[in-house]
Amino acid sequence: MLTIGLTHYLIVAVVLFCAGLYTMMTKRNAIGILIGVELVLNSATVNLVAFDRYLGGQKLDGQITALFVIVLAAAEAAIAVGICINVYSNLGTVDVDRASRLQG
Amino acid sequence: MTGHTYEICLALGVLSPMIGFWLLVFGGRVLGKPGAGWFALVTGMGVPLVLATYVLLCWLRVDDATRAALTENAARFHWATIGGVSIDIGIKLDSLTIAMFFMVTFIAFWIFFFSIGYMSGHSDEVDGKRKYWRFFAYLSLFAFSMLGLVVSSNLLFLFIFWELVGLCSYLLIGFYFHEPTPQYAQIKAFVTNRVGDFGFLIGMMLVFFHLKTLDLDQAAVVFGEQYAAGSGIFASGFTMFGWSLATILGIGLFCGAMGKSAQFPLHVWLPDAMAGPTPVSALIHAATMVAAGVYLVARVFRLMTPEALMFVAAIGCITLTLMALIALVQVDIKKCLAYSTLSQLGYMIFGMGCGAWVAALFHLVTHAFFKAMLFLGSGQVIEGCHHVQDMRRMGGLRKKMPVTCWTFFIGVLAISGAGIAGVKVGGAGIGLGGFFSKDEILAVAYVRSHEWTSYERVEEGHGGGHGSDEHASAVKVGASRVILASDPAHGDSGHGSTAHGASAHGGSHATGKAAIFENTPPLPKWMFYLALATAYITPFYMMRAWWMTFMGKPRDQHVYDHAHETPMMYIPLAVLAGGTAFASYFVFRDLFAHAAPDATDAAMVLAIDGTTHTPAMSAAHSYLVYAVGGSFVAGFALAIGIYGRGLDVAEKIKRTAGPLHTLLEKKYFIDELYHLVWIKGCLVVATVARFFDTWVLDLAYNLLGSATERFAVFIGRFVDVHGVDGIVNGISKTSLDVSDVVRSPQTGRIRSYVMFAAMVAAVVILILVFKPEPSHRLLIPSVASLGG
Repeated sequence: MLTIGLTHYLIVAVVLFCAGLYTMMTKRNAIGILIGVELVLNSATVNLVAFDRYLGGQKLDGQITALFVIVLAAAEAAIAVGICINVYSNLGTVDVDRASRLQG
Repeated sequence: MTGHTYEICLALGVLSPMIGFWLLVFGGRVLGKPGAGWFALVTGMGVPLVLATYVLLCWLRVDDATRAALTENAARFHWATIGGVSIDIGIKLDSLTIAMFFMVTFIAFWIFFFSIGYMSGHSDEVDGKRKYWRFFAYLSLFAFSMLGLVVSSNLLFLFIFWELVGLCSYLLIGFYFHEPTPQYAQIKAFVTNRVGDFGFLIGMMLVFFHLKTLDLDQAAVVFGEQYAAGSGIFASGFTMFGWSLATILGIGLFCGAMGKSAQFPLHVWLPDAMAGPTPVSALIHAATMVAAGVYLVARVFRLMTPEALMFVAAIGCITLTLMALIALVQVDIKKCLAYSTLSQLGYMIFGMGCGAWVAALFHLVTHAFFKAMLFLGSGQVIEGCHHVQDMRRMGGLRKKMPVTCWTFFIGVLAISGAGIAGVKVGGAGIGLGGFFSKDEILAVAYVRSHEWTSYERVEEGHGGGHGSDEHASAVKVGASRVILASDPAHGDSGHGSTAHGASAHGGSHATGKAAIFENTPPLPKWMFYLALATAYITPFYMMRAWWMTFMGKPRDQHVYDHAHETPMMYIPLAVLAGGTAFASYFVFRDLFAHAAPDATDAAMVLAIDGTTHTPAMSAAHSYLVYAVGGSFVAGFALAIGIYGRGLDVAEKIKRTAGPLHTLLEKKYFIDELYHLVWIKGCLVVATVARFFDTWVLDLAYNLLGSATERFAVFIGRFVDVHGVDGIVNGISKTSLDVSDVVRSPQTGRIRSYVMFAAMVAAVVILILVFKPEPSHRLLIPSVASLGG
């Protein structure tokens, strides 16, 4: 009987992280990138909760931090969507490769 | 009057013309043609005259002790401290100041009055600008300066006002500055005065440096103390031309007087100054400013050593003789009066040099009255004859201008010393002006030159020490006084002895009178004889001028037909004629005699005046009075004899004495000599300097400039372009290159940024994981340990 341990949670987190990173690196759509970012954040949340469960003490620091991350992610998403809307209104598209006005 | 009322009155009298001056400067245009003149008459001279009269009357009523106290307690205000020497501003309150103040205000008032009449007939436009008011503004400024000079208690302030009157003289001589003659004359006057003022400054510096004070009274006290102790300026071994430093001090101060009072050899400016308007000639160049030199000598009399006084006497003697001779041949009425003024100033200076302090100042005042009147008379004549000044074209004017004629005649009598010798009415001799004053100078000169050795000293028993002298009224030095042994009583045989006022002041001052008998040499006899001979010349040239102008037949019918006189101009003449008579008898000589003991007591000065004078005169007068007092008869007779029947006799004499006449007419060629020596000399020096400038200095500068230019071009072409610019450009180019390299990763593509970030994070993690450092394992646990 396979016992679900820390390692499994970490593997899930790695998978999530890699998927998010891959999404960020490959998507040209800003919304897609935003989804990738959410995945990466969620992998971090999973890590926090997992480490708190298996290595943490009685204080539940990791889980509380995870809650903060979720809130942070929500806020970040709101800002990011706002940026996306502005990019769209300026450029008529949300293709991030087109938003390269600040290139060197 | 009590307290400081005297000073306040005098100070207000000084300030009133200055306020008038500023008001005229800014508001004269508004006041208009006659208005500005009347305004100046009131503020410039009316107010001071009222105050001066008030002060004079009050002063005459107080006794000697009160006067001494007032002099002692006169207010002084601290003005500045220079090099440890405190300089106070204050009023010198004594009889001399008050007499001079009244004299100046009185004469100036009537000259202001005359000026209004004079200027009404003159064009007041210069360069298209009306400047009538400017004339009165200048006159007011002069009044302020002259009165300030008179009341100054401090040598420095005296000098400041001294220069101010010089400035006014300059401005007024050149009033008609659009003509060349006044321009040259004003510059000549100013420059010549600077020569004298140079000496004045040297004297003042010596006073400042050695006596450590600039206050007139203190300086005299210190001078006397230093003489008694042989310290200070008397300890200096410095000599020049055989003069000690103390003598140079006196001569230096006298140099200022030589310039202002136009003494030989600095006399050249005064005749030329007659180019100014006639009231100016009367006020500044006859009555007041030129007398300032004599006044200065009187004020610094106590700083004069016997050698210095001998120098003063010699200069005065030379001046009075030479100038009187020139006056003989002048045909310009104003020039004739100018040379007469020079000669009379010579008398005053000569009197000062002899020690005839009172007589010289007395002569100053009487001369101021009659010479102002004579000049105003000449102004009336010139004005009436439409600017004809040549006496050869006048003649017979007595019918056209009777008041001018007879007031002028009074002036002629006064300057000639006319009087009746030996006759007295009501205790006073009968005579005018010079009859008393000039005669007194000659009497003193006679005593100094002939009877000097018959004086004997009367020891007062004070020894030489200044500490033991308890007489507060006099300078505290010295011990002896001089009286004439043969006539100890105050004799009355002289014709003017009542006016000489000896008895009024008794012995109270005589006890402190100091004189060092053996240090004062007798006067050379030639000086006395020259002065005596000139007393015969004076009546001749004055009568000649008067006769040529007013008597005889008209020589130029055109001039004669137009001649006229106006009340505005002859009223002052009449008043001054009265003033001449007044000044001759009353008040002034007494005041000077009163001021004399304090002003002339000094360690080494022998002053024969005041109390000690009258006995001296008595002996000399018994026959001198006929020699001097009769001179005017001889002079008048000769003049009428020559000029009585026109100019024919004079022409004959002129032809006979050809070279001599030319010498006099050309004023001994002194102007030409100065032109040759000073002006040409200056030009030669200037030419040499210019040559040096062009060929040495300019050459060096040009070479230096050229070298600098070439060096600058080199710097600009090479160092600047390749060095400085190269560095700056190189830095900017490098910055561009670096920035090109640096910005190449900044693609603007967010996906590549994410990839960079991920790769960098991966690399960092890999390093941390595989680096075999124990410490790092503690921070970041290995995967293996996590699995546990």
